[in-house]
Amino acid sequence: MSYYLYSNTQEVSPYERMMASLNGEKRDRVPVHFYPRWAALEHIGVTFKQTWDDPDLYVKGQILAQERFQYDCAIDYDMMGPVEEAMGAKLKYPENDVPQIAEPLIKTKEDMKNVKWKLDPRKDGNMPKVLYVIRRLKEELIKRGNGTQHVPIMTWGSCPSRTAACLTGFKEWFLIVARDPDWAVELMERALDGWLQMVVAAWEAGADCVWVNDPVSSRDCISRDHYEKLTQPYERKFIEAIRRETGMNITMHPCGNWHDRMDLVYQNQADCYFLGPMDVEMCTQKAVETNEKGLSRVKALNGNVGAATKSTTDGQTAVSYATTMKRGKPEDIEKEAKAVIDVVEAADLRCILGTNCWDVKGSSYANRDAMVYAARKYGQYQ
Amino acid sequence: MGILSDIKNAVFDGEENKIVELVRQALDEGQAANEILDKGLVEGLRATGDAFEKGEKFIPEMLLSSESMKRAMVILKPLLVEGAGGGFGKAVLATVEGDVHDIGLELVGTMFETAGFEIRNMGPDVPTEDIVEAVKEDKPHIVGLSALLSNTMDVMPDVLEALEKNGLRDSVKVMVGGAPVKQDFADEIGADGWAYDAASAVPKAKALRSQLPD
Repeated sequence: MSYYLYSNTQEVSPYERMMASLNGEKRDRVPVHFYPRWAALEHIGVTFKQTWDDPDLYVKGQILAQERFQYDCAIDYDMMGPVEEAMGAKLKYPENDVPQIAEPLIKTKEDMKNVKWKLDPRKDGNMPKVLYVIRRLKEELIKRGNGTQHVPIMTWGSCPSRTAACLTGFKEWFLIVARDPDWAVELMERALDGWLQMVVAAWEAGADCVWVNDPVSSRDCISRDHYEKLTQPYERKFIEAIRRETGMNITMHPCGNWHDRMDLVYQNQADCYFLGPMDVEMCTQKAVETNEKGLSRVKALNGNVGAATKSTTDGQTAVSYATTMKRGKPEDIEKEAKAVIDVVEAADLRCILGTNCWDVKGSSYANRDAMVYAARKYGQYQ
Repeated sequence: MGILSDIKNAVFDGEENKIVELVRQALDEGQAANEILDKGLVEGLRATGDAFEKGEKFIPEMLLSSESMKRAMVILKPLLVEGAGGGFGKAVLATVEGDVHDIGLELVGTMFETAGFEIRNMGPDVPTEDIVEAVKEDKPHIVGLSALLSNTMDVMPDVLEALEKNGLRDSVKVMVGGAPVKQDFADEIGADGWAYDAASAVPKAKALRSQLPD
């Protein structure tokens, strides 16, 4: 059977489907969103660097890949470092990967003075290029939707802990957390505004929703105590500021294993959580509990078919190696997808089917198709 | 065991300043450098690793232990290298592409060096093609690959494949390690060796080295 040719009703647009789910509402079925950078680049046969040098090529990839795979959300140049770059950090631009920090900008407290903390996303560095992509995506989606935007655009923002770690270098960041927590707080306080301004500008350029992430506060990285006292307050502050300034629906991606602190993560007040390689039943149950206590406002869970290997099944027990999206078969994707849909929807939260990490470079068309197929097969609301 | 136990505890607690004083005291008391390393520093590091595995310690605490070890090694390394005799073989070490973590890698590098290996530590986030180039240039006996992230460990089989494609696979023994990497993964991807931690990587590397011609 061709997964691609399975029923493809367009009575409900991806825009309606995705935005409804982010608001905790149902349309025709579960939407699919797997942060399709590589799907798009591979579909039009270009490298990331090529699209960075030619933003219209990036837009083309997003448009054509969405039309080909029929998932429910487009993305801008996300998970990049335009803000850190505009602050003064040097980035390296690999041929086919996202830019990375070439050298830490802040090595001592004295270096804080050399950072350009106050930014104008319309002028500084490469931030205008990101905004250009969002505007062009919006224009093109409206054009191809005959005057109506049929696919939403999700932008991205870096939580203050991540931005601080990018500026200091990840290793140095963890040493700062251990040796000088007051400096860690100061770094996050200063780091918050740059990305907030970027997200606000992205919203003004046409972004419909946003995801934010923190890859440095998981159980794999810091203690629950450090999370609760140091980095979590800044995640919440960032998320609440985005909501206040833009009103966009916010998805948070706790990157890695956060099993022992999901109760705290949900208190960041995001609408949706893009789950990493974690136990979906536990994450769902915890979301219901924190919602019932009035501590959170979780409406949807996004994930979490294997793009990264689960390090544990239940927060403790190690599991063997498996990256379903890249090494599995379509039936494996379908099976994992069904399990996620069943668990999340049974708790009356909305499931946004996706991967448990970025869309994996080199995943087969069949595996990506299988996810949309599974949403159509198992995620119908009627 | 008093002073060695104190050294072990200082590494475990990440007491970067106290460790130097303790190591000097141990040497003054006549403790051999390799005893201080094995029964003090390595034991402390091993206890830290165990606590990390159990979720009792995390990266900041691990780093403090690692920094303590490094400070101690500044004093001990000249004595140890002198004792080791060197010339055991060559090793190229790298954290695979996309992974910026190098704590474990640095520890492995330190332990390999003190065990007599000549090392080239390529650091974190090394593109596969650079590892291949380093193997071509250095002709090492051991290639040590590290990954801390479950989605970057997926790059390890790519490195093995690239070594194979370049006709280099049979000339080296490839060891893999890092928090999510286990023996079953090493077996699955066809690596030659895996070690639980930096200390246990040394005897495995020596055993693998001995399987290769000089």
